[in-house]
Amino acid sequence: MNPICGDWRLQMKTPIGTIEADYHFEEHDGVVTGTANGAGEAVALTDLVTRDTPDGPRVTWRQQITRPLRLNLEYDVTITGGTLAGESRAGRLPRTRVTGRRITA
Amino acid sequence: MPVQIVLFDGFDPLDVIAPFEVFVAGSEYFLDNALDIALVSAEGARDVVSGSQGLTLRATASLDPHRPGIIVVPGASGPVDGDPDQGAETIPVLLARFAATGAIPLIAEAMHNPDVLVAAVCGGSLALAMGGLLEGRNVVTHALGMPLLDATGATAVNARVVDDGDLVTAGGVTSGLDLALYLLDRQFGPRIAHAVEGLFEYERRGTVWRAEGTAPATVPAIPAA
Repeated sequence: MNPICGDWRLQMKTPIGTIEADYHFEEHDGVVTGTANGAGEAVALTDLVTRDTPDGPRVTWRQQITRPLRLNLEYDVTITGGTLAGESRAGRLPRTRVTGRRITA
Repeated sequence: MPVQIVLFDGFDPLDVIAPFEVFVAGSEYFLDNALDIALVSAEGARDVVSGSQGLTLRATASLDPHRPGIIVVPGASGPVDGDPDQGAETIPVLLARFAATGAIPLIAEAMHNPDVLVAAVCGGSLALAMGGLLEGRNVVTHALGMPLLDATGATAVNARVVDDGDLVTAGGVTSGLDLALYLLDRQFGPRIAHAVEGLFEYERRGTVWRAEGTAPATVPAIPAA
C-alpha cells in the first residue's frame, strides 16, 4: 500500500489567505488516485505521481479548483510518518508552503 | 444603448469614473444622448463604499443581464501587501469577496447574452476569473494581477486593452479611459472616440490586442510576480 493512501487534511496559502481541504488517496492495482474536498467541492487530482526519495515518499499532483476561487494548482509534498509538508503553486505565482496531517476519515 | 457600470464593496473609484465620464461625454456632447449610463449593483439601488478612503457612490438600479448594451466591471482598491490570514483586506481578498456575490451569476448570464458586451477594468477581470467566468478567454488585468489571472485558467495577454469579442478588458486603473474610448470607437466609430479624446486632452496608447491576423512567432513572456 502506498504511504499516501488514506485521508489527509492539508493547509495551503493562496493569495486570498490560507485554505484547508481534505484529501483521500487510494490504490487499486498499483495505481494511486486522489480526491480533494474543500469549500463544498470535490475535485479529482490529476497527474498524480508518487516516488521514494531519501527524504521520504514524495507525491506530486495537479488540481483545478473553483471554490473559493478558480485556480490551477500544482502540489509537491513529502510524507514523514503521519504528517506531510511541501509546496503548492498556482500558475506562475510564487510557490507557497503546504502542510498536512493524516486524519481518520 | 444602456451602459451599466457595476459597483461592489471596495471598488476602485477611478475604474468606475474614468469609463463613466468617457461614456457620458461621448453621449451628451457627440451622440445626442444615445447612451443610458447607470451605476448599478447586484444587490440593487444602494450606497456602495469604495476601497479608497470610504469614498461612496450610489448605485441607482440592479444589474440587469438581460439589458442589451455594455456592462463594465471595475476592480478593487486596497492594500497590495499584507497577510489575509492576519485580516489584511488586500485587493485579491476584495476581488474574491466580490466574486462570491450574486454579481457573478448575473454577469455569467450577461456573458451568455449575445446582445451584451462585458467589459472589465483593472482587477475587474480578475474578479470574473476568480468566479470561474474567464476559462480560456484572452484577457488582461492590472500588471500586479497577471500571474494570478493566468492561474485561473484564463489566458493573460499583456496589452493595455484586449478585445476578445464579446469581452473587452483593460489593464491598470487609467486604462479605463482607453477601454471606454475603444468601446466608443468600436460601437460608434473613430470620430466619436476622437472627439472625446480632444475634449479630455487625452490620447489612448498602445495597440488593442485582438486574436486576429497573423500570430507573432514568439510571444514575450509575462514576468512572474
